[in-house]
Amino acid sequence: MFDFPPPQIFLQLSLNGALGGAMYGVAAVGLSLIFGTMRLIFLAQGAMIILAAYFVRALFQSFGIDPFLSLLIVVPVGLIAGWLIYQGLFRKAAVEEDRNISLLIAVGLMFLAENLMTVIWGGNTAGVVTGYTASGIHVLGIRTSFTRTMSFLIALAGTGLVMLFLRKTLVGKAVRAASEDMTAASLMGISPHRVNAIAFAVGIALAGAAGVAVATTFPFNPFAGFIFSLKALVALALGGIGSVAGALAGGIILGLIEAYVQFFVGGSWTNAVAYGVFLLVLMFKPEGLFGRPYKKA
Amino acid sequence: MRASMWIWAVIAAALALLPFWPGAIDSYAFSFLFFIFIYAILSQAWNLIAGFGGQISLGNHAFFGLGAYATAILWSGNYLWGSLYESHPRIYYFDPVTMAIAGLVAAVGAALVGWPLLSKLRGDYFALGTLGFGEIVKVMFVNGGDFTGGAFGIVAPSSTFDTLLPHYWAGLGLTVAVTIAIGLLMRSRYGLALIAVRDDEMAASANGIDTLKVKVAAFAGSAFISGVAGSLYTYYIFHVGPDSVFDLDWMLLPLMMTVVGGTGTLMGPVAGAFVMYAVFDLARILVPDYHPVVSGLAIILAMLFLPKGLARIGFGLPGLVRRG
Repeated sequence: MFDFPPPQIFLQLSLNGALGGAMYGVAAVGLSLIFGTMRLIFLAQGAMIILAAYFVRALFQSFGIDPFLSLLIVVPVGLIAGWLIYQGLFRKAAVEEDRNISLLIAVGLMFLAENLMTVIWGGNTAGVVTGYTASGIHVLGIRTSFTRTMSFLIALAGTGLVMLFLRKTLVGKAVRAASEDMTAASLMGISPHRVNAIAFAVGIALAGAAGVAVATTFPFNPFAGFIFSLKALVALALGGIGSVAGALAGGIILGLIEAYVQFFVGGSWTNAVAYGVFLLVLMFKPEGLFGRPYKKA
Repeated sequence: MRASMWIWAVIAAALALLPFWPGAIDSYAFSFLFFIFIYAILSQAWNLIAGFGGQISLGNHAFFGLGAYATAILWSGNYLWGSLYESHPRIYYFDPVTMAIAGLVAAVGAALVGWPLLSKLRGDYFALGTLGFGEIVKVMFVNGGDFTGGAFGIVAPSSTFDTLLPHYWAGLGLTVAVTIAIGLLMRSRYGLALIAVRDDEMAASANGIDTLKVKVAAFAGSAFISGVAGSLYTYYIFHVGPDSVFDLDWMLLPLMMTVVGGTGTLMGPVAGAFVMYAVFDLARILVPDYHPVVSGLAIILAMLFLPKGLARIGFGLPGLVRRG
């Protein structure tokens, strides 16, 4: 039915998929942190990423700041914004037993962000075009674009930093403890609100980093975020909910799946296959592809 | 039925008689209320699985879309009424058989996917799974070729109509019927079992309740109601497309309306649909350029200040307070 493509094409597909998937990975790491402490499916994560991408574009167009350099602005702004979002919007809802409330606030935030972006920047597709957007690197007959490679490195660095933060710092350990057992953690003197706020701050900062990656590699529009949130959820499930490195790996696997399906089956089926894999993993390996099985409740 | 519920019966009766008010016939109110009815039906459906059943479904828009597509396909292909259709071209309007089939298609879909999902997943994982399911269904309809009309969808062979009153009465009747059905259901042995499963699944199972069966039935019931709502919508819009009827809003807005009205209450979804749709529609009229922004703000504000639903602000109507 189909001829197996020459290894060159296969390698090229794999590379493209992996580089693109790393972006889902960063988004998934942010979701993973927020889900870990608050048990909240933060559907607005994608909208935050696109918001960051527009922000990067505005910095580039108005002040001529290089998109990759703007990481130094976007990430701190994301940290502060995440903290404020938690304190302003989710603090009250986090203590409610009914978690639909937090979910709905996230949905409201998503609607708000999407439509504010439309009002401010218009609904058309936008992009950031720099002098190096079209430049590529050739290795062994495989071509990769410079911006995609940079995005991949940003994803790696972001995930690495978050892992260091969670493993080495006291605050990071508190976040990990809280995501394992919030009750026990708060009995040990960890304030749930502080941990949640930190998870949110880091999560939105990662959305900022992902925004830089999106702005430089993809054309985007205000409503592109939601599909990003869904993809990040798939990546999260693939990697195992609660695992940071797993989330990045899940994103890369998802990117590979998408690249292969797009080539071998057809572009219109990529989403169905991605979500199908998602359902299968949720049902048969809910701890993720790399995780150890959970203890049964 | 508790005696205090009479006030809702009076409201329903008043709404049914509203078209006979002199001069009311040309009013925008009927289109406004028609949409409220659609959302109220969808909210009741979501409330059945999530409020009474405790299983957060994020895939109910898929059932709405399945019902809408089933109606459009039956109608445009004239699969049901054969030559009768030639002599009575309006036979498909609010045809109970078509609408029931639309609901059944959605219910069968829900049972097929709900069985494996609900037996394997609970809590957040079920929510995630249903979200993925919704997207899969949408992609399948985009790729459905001639049968589903691809990315464009299907146009129903409508005849022109100059009044919305049949839509209005059908919507009102269905809202009342669904509400009464759920009210009776929740008083039955099955309803008690469903609430027991929500409150403590292990205890329910220890008392001999087949929890999986109860949950799948609630999921299928929710899907049936959503499918009928989708069918009703098709009679209004005449064009079903993957991006319009599988839009996430058909799940998110009813979810929000239910939470605002009060999850797990009988009248909460209806009250929430009225209040939130009125807010959205006012925003659409008053600030046409910014109304989606206002909708987002309204959701956030409602959740910040009304997290327990309308009952909390002393909305003195019965059926809004969640009982134990």
